[in-house]
Amino acid sequence: MTGAFLYLTACSLANRVRMRVRRLREPRYVIGLAVGAVYFYFVIFSRPGSGRGHGTTVGIAAIAGSAAPLVALASVLLLAVVVLAWVWPSSSRAIVFSRAEVQFLFQAPLTRQQLLHYKLIRSQTASLLVSLILTVFFRPGTFMAAWTVITGMWLLFGILNLHFTGMALARASLAEHGVSGLRRQWVPIAVVVAAIGAIGLALVRDGARLSTLETGRQVLSELGRVLTTGAAGWALWPTRAIVRLPLAASTAEYWRALPGALALFALNYIWVMRSDAAFEEASAEQSEKVVQGRLAPRRARVTAASTPFSLAPVGRVETAILWKNLILLGRYASLRTLWRLVPMAVALAVVASTSRRTGLVSVLSMLALGGVVLIVLLGPQIVRNDLRQDLAHLALLKTWPVRSAALIRGELLAPAAVLTGLAWIFVTASVLLMTHVPANAEGIALLVLNRVSYGIAALLIAPPIIVIQLIVQNGLAVLFPAWVVIGASRSRGVEVMGQRMLMQAGIWLTLLIAFTPAAVLGGLLAVVIYLATGLVPIVVPAALAAAVILAEAFLATEALGRALDRTDVGNLEPAD
Amino acid sequence: MIAVSHLSKVYGSFKAVDDLSFTVGPGEVVGLIGPNGAGKTSTLRCLVGIQAPSAGSVTIDGHDIVKDSVAAKQQVAFMADEPNLFEYLTVMEHLRLTARIYGAGDIEGKARTLLQELQLTGKEKALPSELSRGMKQKVAIACGLLHDPKALLFDEPLTGLDPLGIRHMKETIVRRGRAGAAVMVSSHLLHLVEEICTRILIIDRGVKVADGTMADLEAHAEAAGSNLEEIFLKVTSREGSPSA
Repeated sequence: MTGAFLYLTACSLANRVRMRVRRLREPRYVIGLAVGAVYFYFVIFSRPGSGRGHGTTVGIAAIAGSAAPLVALASVLLLAVVVLAWVWPSSSRAIVFSRAEVQFLFQAPLTRQQLLHYKLIRSQTASLLVSLILTVFFRPGTFMAAWTVITGMWLLFGILNLHFTGMALARASLAEHGVSGLRRQWVPIAVVVAAIGAIGLALVRDGARLSTLETGRQVLSELGRVLTTGAAGWALWPTRAIVRLPLAASTAEYWRALPGALALFALNYIWVMRSDAAFEEASAEQSEKVVQGRLAPRRARVTAASTPFSLAPVGRVETAILWKNLILLGRYASLRTLWRLVPMAVALAVVASTSRRTGLVSVLSMLALGGVVLIVLLGPQIVRNDLRQDLAHLALLKTWPVRSAALIRGELLAPAAVLTGLAWIFVTASVLLMTHVPANAEGIALLVLNRVSYGIAALLIAPPIIVIQLIVQNGLAVLFPAWVVIGASRSRGVEVMGQRMLMQAGIWLTLLIAFTPAAVLGGLLAVVIYLATGLVPIVVPAALAAAVILAEAFLATEALGRALDRTDVGNLEPAD
Repeated sequence: MIAVSHLSKVYGSFKAVDDLSFTVGPGEVVGLIGPNGAGKTSTLRCLVGIQAPSAGSVTIDGHDIVKDSVAAKQQVAFMADEPNLFEYLTVMEHLRLTARIYGAGDIEGKARTLLQELQLTGKEKALPSELSRGMKQKVAIACGLLHDPKALLFDEPLTGLDPLGIRHMKETIVRRGRAGAAVMVSSHLLHLVEEICTRILIIDRGVKVADGTMADLEAHAEAAGSNLEEIFLKVTSREGSPSA
């Protein structure tokens, strides 16, 4: 049976490669590949100290050779990954079979062990590919170092994959057998719990000594000592045994580390094969969810809740589309979307506030300002409840008795409204939280005037900037549908990465062109007012610039409407 | 009501529809049949404005689908073979959105009647992910019927329906035809076409090969007393099929 599995794996791989090569006939993929290849070349080979052809020890070998504690830290990191996987299981770590695999293999006369073998064989291709890519990035200086890194990584991913498979089976067993399942799976669970306890205890005991150390190198060295001795050393032995392989500084060290890693592989393999959990039904269900998830992201979260407002039976079509797209946002948006912005906002605030420490209020003000920047500049790329989602429904939209320009304007309203609302909240917060209050009354009056002026200018200019970006994003989807992600489809590969880089460059260029007239006219008006009054105006030029951008936006939607009329539904095939 | 004149649709070098002309008058239920790849779906998509014709013209109630598309689309409904629903809208929200888009006014009462007719009562607050394929098909059809279109185009309307659903759907199609709508039904279910259609249009490789009532087709195929399946196989056979 292994022969059949290998045949299926090899054919799948060969056909995937053939498909990727074949699609290079299309200019968009060739261009994307060229851009992606150039990017990789500069990222990998143009870094300082590449030392190609001189046998210099660089990359992972250099790290491994000069910093033994790295192995200890990497082993902690690996343990953290495993612990997180146990504590916070992800559905992606379940044993997922594709629809075709469920169709062909689940009804075939195969044992569950054979099915597991199949999954293990299939996972090796991906593991090897990831190992190769990581090895290229780490750039081992010699051929010998390269193969130890590749095989070390491969074995590392193989063991991890086995462990996650065993974990999924253990969870299935617990769900299936309840308390008795816990008894059956107590060994691995106890091992993980004991390991965490041992490491935690060792770090607490050494806390006093660690706090006295002054340099990062000293801390690193001490951590390396603590994590490789005593109970913590034993607890981390399994993960250390695995990471020692790809981080081995020499071939001899690699061979010394190999038996331990192989033993772990064997242990995990036995654990997986001895599990009695019935995974087939759950896997089939999960496979269906994966397929459905591709069609509709985060489907599981969708529930019919209240609508943003009551849709009147008659009125402008744009309002109807706004209503529809706000429902889309309301039913799909998750806190996760907002959480993605938080770290960036915090980082911006920290950087901005380090130069003048004026307390928490100042930090909050900078945080709000960072939020404004992120919302205005990144929001239009993140909030996609517009035509970029709806192009997947273009066949339906084209049957609607609606002018295409009106359709596009309606599609833009929801993300524009949401982002504008957020930006206004953050602008207001930033202005209110500004500090540096002057001592005299004249200074206070000037300060208030300044704050209000900047605030109003920001409130005026933010919506047009958001709208024009949304138009550019949606316009590219209309004009170059094959180049953008439509709906929930996702493509992979260097060529696709290159395509996205080109698209991003196009977006910035288009925005530059769009903003230039507004900036020039706003600037000229500011100069005229300054020459006439001696004051430096903010609000009036901002209002003019906003009006210019909005006028451009209107004209752009009219032009895009005509383009949408010409768009053939057949060009919007989902990405593979 | 529906007038198609010298319609052609070309994809690259492939001609999916080739110089097709026909009309569907008010009250007519015309069956559009043909082998796989004959150009049925391309024809329907050109009729409803999803795809632009490469040549020729399509008018709905006198409005050209390309030059006067808003007015033309106001009068037509297309029920695709694969129901195209928004995953995040409930059944009732689909109906409200469609009513607003088509300017159908207050449709609450009419929506209830339609949902009852299509056996969707009780599913008003259901999302598409909570519906079977057949039910999704019914929701799409309910949306199509909501604004009382003068032209109705069905692409494989019975796919995924249960026996009772099939019966109701056939009744719905026939009732709309009798009420004066111009109806086209594309299907591979020849017995359905034979049962409910007043006229049948057979196309093959984008070309019209027969058009008329059952009696006309029997005469055309020189197959008196034959059923539609026999006529279909005869006129679409690759060896020397007679041209209409």
